[in-house]
Amino acid sequence: MSEKIKLCDLSKCTGCRGCQLACKQWNQLPAKQTVNTGTYQNPPDLQPNTWNIIRFQEISDGNGGVDWLFRHDACMHCTDAACVKVCPSGALHYTKYGTVALDSGKCIGCKECVFACPFEVPKYDPETDKILKCDMCYSRIDNDMEPACVKACPTGALMFGDKTEILKVAYERARELGGDASVYGDKFVDGTHMVYVLPEKAGIYDKLPEKPRVPLSVIAWKDWLKPLSLLAAGGVIAGSFLHYITHGPKDTSGDGDQVSKEGGE
Amino acid sequence: MKKGMIKVSDGFERIVHWSMAISCLILMITGLGMMFHSFNFLGIPVGGLKNLKLIHNFSGLAFIPSLFFAILIWWKEAGIFKFPEDLEWIMVAGGYLWHVDKVPETGKYNPGQKAFFWAVAFFGVVMSVTGLIMWFPLSFPVELVRWMYPLHALGFFVLFPFFFVHLYLGTVGVPGSVSAILTGWVTRSWAKKQCPKWLKEMEESGKLEISE
Repeated sequence: MSEKIKLCDLSKCTGCRGCQLACKQWNQLPAKQTVNTGTYQNPPDLQPNTWNIIRFQEISDGNGGVDWLFRHDACMHCTDAACVKVCPSGALHYTKYGTVALDSGKCIGCKECVFACPFEVPKYDPETDKILKCDMCYSRIDNDMEPACVKACPTGALMFGDKTEILKVAYERARELGGDASVYGDKFVDGTHMVYVLPEKAGIYDKLPEKPRVPLSVIAWKDWLKPLSLLAAGGVIAGSFLHYITHGPKDTSGDGDQVSKEGGE
Repeated sequence: MKKGMIKVSDGFERIVHWSMAISCLILMITGLGMMFHSFNFLGIPVGGLKNLKLIHNFSGLAFIPSLFFAILIWWKEAGIFKFPEDLEWIMVAGGYLWHVDKVPETGKYNPGQKAFFWAVAFFGVVMSVTGLIMWFPLSFPVELVRWMYPLHALGFFVLFPFFFVHLYLGTVGVPGSVSAILTGWVTRSWAKKQCPKWLKEMEESGKLEISE
């Protein structure tokens, strides 16, 4: 099965939030009462019941004016996904399309993925004691449909398809845009399954790390300490057995031994 | 009881020892079930991994007070290295690894046991603190929480070997040891070999309890 990726061309995004709504509709995530925080961005961050949002951001255009940036934010579906690495129950897992899906029944609410994800995507729901996040509409893509957000996008900012094809489109588009435009996503964590065409420099966007990577703490924990602790535990069990059959147990019987003579008199 | 047995532990020590031992065993087994996918099946008997996590967390709550009392009652006898005799003992590995004609005499606890005390005291505190933060991570900064997990794993890496050697030397490795922590009574010959200096001091001060 070929890898599938979602392309998000921010130069075409109008911030209509059709993707945000379509996601809620398909995944049956009714919105809760929201609060006006003085921005179109609502809710303020990804939530257990909001798996993608449009981030609204104002930046100076350098000529006294203001540029308004819109960014569709959702799970990046890393190839080397820190969340899958830390998940103790296997609830977070890779699919045959390379995306990262979630088996909610297996989730034990440990929140380890919340702290592992370099994009801060998984969100904890205290009501169900579960983690929730975008699964790239696995139920749809496994039936040859696009994710709901892509289907709803009216401007073609969101595209979905085979990795090689979509990446080609992304690079062509970035070249076409010129200037600071770049492709974001295919060069780190072994390639994400959502890639952006960013019209501005990567560092400008809110909450979008310039060089995301699996945190060193996760590597130290899962790649170093886990195998080392198996080695140490196995070594000491085998060592104790070898000790017993070669050196033998200590003789603690009788009174006529050297140590007790010296000690006792 | 046989005559001439020697008392080496009191009731409180034994209660603290076993509350630590049992909570540690449960913590290690349940922790293993969450650390390795191949051990996820350990959750099945308790109705799933979520319950395994709950058992792990609440056993931790039992472990913390037992650790506190363990440090309190054993730091004087097992927490202070005495030089040079402890160093001499370490140089010959207490006679446990190769043949040694004359093993330096130890007090109630030998340097190996003292090392075990320090490993448990230090990493026990590490496990408690990191464990509590991992239980309620949303109340702490991301960068802090991230390092709690590898520290918790480091604790297991250090504690399991110490635990297993303790188990081995406390049972089949040094026959006659188990009763020291089950009933509190050991044979005189065991005490002469395992804690000669302590035995001498207790006899001299007349504090030694001998069964009649």
